[in-house]
Amino acid sequence: MTALLDPTSERSPTIRPRLGRPDRLEGLTVGIVDISKPRGDVFLDRLDARLQERGIATRRYMKPTMTRPAPLALRQQIGTEVQVVIQGLAD
Amino acid sequence: MVVATTEFIEAAEAQAKALGTDPACVFIPHPVQDRTDDELRAMADTHFDAIIAMLLKGN
Amino acid sequence: MDAPHDGLVAVVKRDCPTCELTAPVLAALARAAGLTVYTQDDPGFPAEIAARIHDADLNVSHRLRIEIVPTLIRFEGGQEIDRTYGWDRAEWERIAARPGLGDGLPAMRPGCGAKNVEPGILERLKVRHGETGIAARRIEIGSGEDEIEAMFDRGWSDGLPLVPPTEERVLRMLAGTGRDPQEVIGLVPSDLVPATVEKIAINAVMAGCKPEYLPVVLAAVEAVLAEPFAMHGVLATTMYVGPVVIVNGPIRRAIGMNARGNALGQGNRANATIGRALQLVIRNIGGGRPQEVDRATLGNPGKYTYCFAEDEENSCWEPLSVERGIAPGKSAVTVFAGFGLQGVVDQKSRDPDSLSRSFAESMKAMQNVKLAPSCDCIVVISPEHERTYRAAGWTKQQVYDAFYRLTEMDGDDLVAGAHGIAEGGPPSYAGRRIAKFRPGGLMIVRAGGGAGMFSGIIGGWSASGERGSAPVTREIRE
Repeated sequence: MTALLDPTSERSPTIRPRLGRPDRLEGLTVGIVDISKPRGDVFLDRLDARLQERGIATRRYMKPTMTRPAPLALRQQIGTEVQVVIQGLAD
Repeated sequence: MVVATTEFIEAAEAQAKALGTDPACVFIPHPVQDRTDDELRAMADTHFDAIIAMLLKGN
Repeated sequence: MDAPHDGLVAVVKRDCPTCELTAPVLAALARAAGLTVYTQDDPGFPAEIAARIHDADLNVSHRLRIEIVPTLIRFEGGQEIDRTYGWDRAEWERIAARPGLGDGLPAMRPGCGAKNVEPGILERLKVRHGETGIAARRIEIGSGEDEIEAMFDRGWSDGLPLVPPTEERVLRMLAGTGRDPQEVIGLVPSDLVPATVEKIAINAVMAGCKPEYLPVVLAAVEAVLAEPFAMHGVLATTMYVGPVVIVNGPIRRAIGMNARGNALGQGNRANATIGRALQLVIRNIGGGRPQEVDRATLGNPGKYTYCFAEDEENSCWEPLSVERGIAPGKSAVTVFAGFGLQGVVDQKSRDPDSLSRSFAESMKAMQNVKLAPSCDCIVVISPEHERTYRAAGWTKQQVYDAFYRLTEMDGDDLVAGAHGIAEGGPPSYAGRRIAKFRPGGLMIVRAGGGAGMFSGIIGGWSASGERGSAPVTREIRE
């Protein structure tokens, strides 16, 4: 753990804020990322179906392996194709 | 946001502390490996609203 | 417990001839009286004292405020009664309340610097003991997080990597000034946040400054926050400008600034980091960022950093700071809302009139040849060009007079629509002579390498002078 001194006016919280989130999903595309653990696909398939029932566009992605972070190319592809991401199923 | 089982709660907290981030998480009951397909789909239904809420502003 | 309720404490180190000298005295005191001996370096020293304690992390030395070794302290009733340092027989006998100490030793011998106050070690101890007096909030960076990335993620950066502002680095930076860390230099726009010496020091660390640069950074911040500079406007404008910092006086050489070859370019740490620190202060303390309060259409590369020193040596003119009212021999900064560098190439003029026309024709094009009055300018005259003026015996005032006179233009040429250019002045310009620059809108500075008949013009902001930003000069305080 390193401590850095705050160079700012200190008018905002120290935890890095989550990236700006949308007000609603309608009109957006939701990315569903399967992190490649067994049985996760059944759970994610159901989320996918429910989203599509509501008329929300989805795209599916698969991490090549559960043991490493998603490769850069995949992360960049996801970043350009969707606006929000659900990742699962970690157990 | 991330969907994980309750086994992950401590790990998620530790990682959040280490990385200084506060990722949105929904925890579902552990284990999942021995659930039937119907049980998994039911869990997805139960937690659907919570998962959507985590994607949106204000959560 | 560092000290006995009643008794003597001695702090020594092996790497000190006087401590070695007093070792037998300490041995005698240890046998006769209650004496605790702390060793700062070698746990085997002094060999004569079996019950010596190794103050390896120097925490005891720090708490006892040791500055010189050997130090001998007397405690009574849990309080320090008296102390002495170095070897002084009379003092040691008095404090130990024992006569006849140090038989065979000289009456006195000076001590050595204590290990706990060596540079770097003292800051570390102050941080460890929470005595730094630092007021800024601490941001914890997790063990899994990369410090450099963390600073980018938090929005502190100008786009380039920053030096992590640890408490130790900031303490070392603050040692570069005698000013109180909590002194408020001014309110930084756009959020109008008080900039303390400490907050500025944090940003100076991030910029990569050395502690000896801090006084220059403080003076530059003070200058841009002065009302006539109109920092909020300079920040918020859609135009190109950012603060340009020119340094005069002895401090230039003391901190190794560049006033010669490539003075406006890269490669010199002081030039680069002083200008950068100023920009980081605006960004991080004031909250002014591109596409937020900073609405610049294009900006200019000088908004990363734009700071150089004037080449005062061998110049026939007084330095810019002296021209602007600072006493000769004093160090000062002048800040100017400026952008870019327009080259003035003249390799043929042998006389000051021809050379001045080269400058003037170039200056007429500043912003747009159809616009007058336009912005203020800094004219950076290189040594080879200054030599032409020097040979002709021209004072700086004569050069200014020539520039103002030669940049007057016929209003007919400036009227909107004239010469097929829609931009331009009002119809009332017709038939009149119009000055390109407001009186006092030009500043001449000598800088650059010795070879090259190439000078430059730094453009300013349309809103110049009282209706906008005016240059500000401030003396540098150590």
